[in-house]
Amino acid sequence: MKNILVIVFCCLAGLGVQAQKDSIVHTLEEVILVVDKNNKENSVGLKKISLKDSVIENNRESFTSLIRFTAPIYLREYGSGGTSSARFRGTSSSNTAVIWNGININSINNGQTGFNSLSVNLIDAIDIRSGGGSIKYGSGAIGGTIHLNTNLTFKKHFKNQIISSVGSYDTYQSLFKTSYGNSKFALKAGLSYNQSDNNYPLLGTNFKNTNAAYDNLNWNISSAFKISDFSNLKFYISKYKANRLFSGELPNPTTAREKYRDFNQRNLLVFENNSNQFSHIIKAAYLTQEYNYFSDKNIATYDFGKSATWLFNYDFSYNFNKNTKIDSYTEYTSINGWTNKINTRNRTQFSQAIIFSQKLEKLFSYNLKIRQDFNSDYEVPFVMAIGAEIPLNNKLTVRLNASKNYRVPSYNDLYWPGQGNPDLFPETSKQGEIGLNYTTSTTKIDFSYFYIRSKDKIVWSPNGDPDRPGVWMPNNIAETQNSGIELRITKHYTLGYHTFNFNGNYSYTLAKDKITNQILIFVPKHIANFNLGYSHKKWSAFYQFLFNGQLYTSEDNISSNAMPSYDISNIGVDYQLLKTKKQNLSFGVKINNIYNEIYQISPRRPMPNRNFNIHINYKF
Amino acid sequence: MKINKLILQSLVLAVLFISCNDNEVLFNGEGASYKNGILISGEGSSAGTGSVSFISNDFSVQANQIFKTINNEELGTYLQSIAFDDENAYISVDNAATITVVDRYTFEEKGKIITGLDHPRYMTVVDGIGYSTNWGSTGSETDDYIAVIDLSTFEVTSTIPVGNGPERIIEKDGNLYVSHQGAFTTNNIVSVINIDTESIVEITVNDNPDEIFFDNAGDLIVLSAGNVVADYSNWPEVTILSQTPGSIARINTASNTITSELTFAEGDHPKLLVENDNNFYYSVGNKIYKIAANSAELSDTPILEVESIYSMAIKNNKLFSVNASYSKLSKLSVFDLSTKEETNTFNVALAASKIYFN
Repeated sequence: MKNILVIVFCCLAGLGVQAQKDSIVHTLEEVILVVDKNNKENSVGLKKISLKDSVIENNRESFTSLIRFTAPIYLREYGSGGTSSARFRGTSSSNTAVIWNGININSINNGQTGFNSLSVNLIDAIDIRSGGGSIKYGSGAIGGTIHLNTNLTFKKHFKNQIISSVGSYDTYQSLFKTSYGNSKFALKAGLSYNQSDNNYPLLGTNFKNTNAAYDNLNWNISSAFKISDFSNLKFYISKYKANRLFSGELPNPTTAREKYRDFNQRNLLVFENNSNQFSHIIKAAYLTQEYNYFSDKNIATYDFGKSATWLFNYDFSYNFNKNTKIDSYTEYTSINGWTNKINTRNRTQFSQAIIFSQKLEKLFSYNLKIRQDFNSDYEVPFVMAIGAEIPLNNKLTVRLNASKNYRVPSYNDLYWPGQGNPDLFPETSKQGEIGLNYTTSTTKIDFSYFYIRSKDKIVWSPNGDPDRPGVWMPNNIAETQNSGIELRITKHYTLGYHTFNFNGNYSYTLAKDKITNQILIFVPKHIANFNLGYSHKKWSAFYQFLFNGQLYTSEDNISSNAMPSYDISNIGVDYQLLKTKKQNLSFGVKINNIYNEIYQISPRRPMPNRNFNIHINYKF
Repeated sequence: MKINKLILQSLVLAVLFISCNDNEVLFNGEGASYKNGILISGEGSSAGTGSVSFISNDFSVQANQIFKTINNEELGTYLQSIAFDDENAYISVDNAATITVVDRYTFEEKGKIITGLDHPRYMTVVDGIGYSTNWGSTGSETDDYIAVIDLSTFEVTSTIPVGNGPERIIEKDGNLYVSHQGAFTTNNIVSVINIDTESIVEITVNDNPDEIFFDNAGDLIVLSAGNVVADYSNWPEVTILSQTPGSIARINTASNTITSELTFAEGDHPKLLVENDNNFYYSVGNKIYKIAANSAELSDTPILEVESIYSMAIKNNKLFSVNASYSKLSKLSVFDLSTKEETNTFNVALAASKIYFN
């Protein structure tokens, strides 16, 4: 059965030889408005992966599986649909920052983003950037950043889309998106609803995944108004509400009764003014996050946590000339966070960053970035970064970057009743990367070597306070050193009506605790994945593959507690029933885990068996 | 299956991987015997399953994860305790609501009880019947019970409702004695349950009673940790609202009354208590103290101070204590009670919490 892979790889080899025909250049004259406008030039020297909407559409099940199959990032997930967190390059899950339209949305309470408590169905574009990003995105941007962007367009259009799908385990997903625009106004709205019983059979046992159902509702509205040729005003609103049950684990999954509710809202107002030399962007945002945790779904009492964040940001840039620019980034945030066990705590932070970018015609481009924060809770270190890109010829470019980044202690770390440690200070990390990029019109190969040295990492341990043995407390104790390589290959190939697309990632990560010299837990040395897409007239198909290497779960690296490696594959086929200039109706089938592989991501939690999903996608 | 792995391995640019960090001496396979040795059970954590380690009495043989080795299966989390009868060991795993039955010497699985339990904690065996203390739901203080288990069929046949947070359970003369540590909250009773009539007498002791045993005089000895009620919501500012002391209570089982009591100083909350050779050994913080079983007062001078202590046992003038780690193997230390010297250490079960002599 898996011989299919041989064919796939042979195809690839073939592609490598036959590639390089004519170039496909898409020139679309439309003004796409993005909030995180300077992200591109600020990312000089960093590795970026952009996920197109078709890729997002193929992986609607969860944000977790989308990232897992498209980037060299390890996602730790407590059973399919359970709590999920992402780690870049062997760093911890609080070292991954998720950025929504330019704003860091990691939780104040635990410093992370739950990748199954975020819906990506309504996101227009996802950029995945490896490497440090604290200068612009603040805390947690150590391993990398994941950017969720909404694109608005000043162009006459009116587009609608409906996707509806039914899958195994009573999984239903539906979304509706509409986009309207003219030369002065743009509006986008979306509504998505997902639900699943998620009660897949636990392969190799007589059990089913129990207490695992989820549902989530997400709606977004964003709009842009053109005030003049130089100014515009935009707003973005996103609301999300989810109910999830937390599944049980072997040997007796039937005991699970935990329940979790999320409510998130994000509101952002942006005013932008551009002239030839000056640009001003003023942002105001109000974000809230709330969770309710029920240790027993049959009992009405629950624990809750809530945070409310006000953020004001002024981004000023001045172009000395076409190739030289200075950017000042001033931000004030005020966060109130509380739980049923922690009284309201306020944290305010003032940050100032300066970014200088220069492009020396055809020679190279570089930027220098510095940032200083003033935080009401602790001292935040002065951080800086440099990035450079040096073209060797018209296809090869060398990327270089080095940065110092940080992650601040979370509210739980500081204030957890009886256990938080008020003396904590931010973790810091220094990192460097050298990359080589080969780009032609049909092929993109990116190779990088990275090195990350982190210190004062916050670790919870049961003997954190010598005066109170047995009480779990966090301390700034760990030092880690991560190094490795990443390889990404993107290939596009057309032969008549046949089009092939390939995206593949491989990463090797060696992450060690500098004090014990042991390999860090939950860091696989090897991750490899690829997506192969094929289309022919009205048909299109894709094949997805993931290999996740062995990893340790205990700090002494004993093999009896190691999670074995696994590989899984998904396949999908779509057929266009209707294609006119204004309408497009397609029907598709996706099969996940086609080889019915028995695998676990978290110990004692088998993942889903082979499962199916059919969908219709109607654009009009 | 094989082919794509091969291809991948050849695709992989870098490096072989080597993992030889295991210090485990394997002692398993056909005819393995875990007799004449020490069993250490570990709760398990997100770093690994609950497990049992074995060390032979002469310390020459050690094996970790003996249940998994023999049965190729995991016990789950959190392994709370093991009860024994002549033939079997009954392993209670709290979150998994499971009691796994194994042959106590070969550790081969004989059965599993998965229905009728809810946060099982401890069990005792009386005439072929198991009595298992169960906390019930995490959110309720009124659904706690003793599960009555037919050990010939491994089925829960009935339940006896009891007060909140039943913990240790022992039997004497047809009565079950249960300390109510208080589960997710707090309690201050010892229940005396008549097995025949299921009538219950509650004896009030100090807050959070845990360790119980009968001493040589036949009295029931109860260690209560005491309790601290504090407002931590402005942490690190703490407002102590009330504080109750720990105690060692001696209860006459004929009258079910406390005949004498040793009360700890305010702020001292004892955790462990074992009896050996007519002496009591108890721990407060990292310190271990010794008093005569009939002593009228507590001791001021510790006999030992350890890094951290989560469990303690004494046999043949040796004191065994574990420093539990939740992220890697725990450390078992053996102290010679005459010299007070640490004579041996072993890396044992993840989150090691109980020591048994098999």
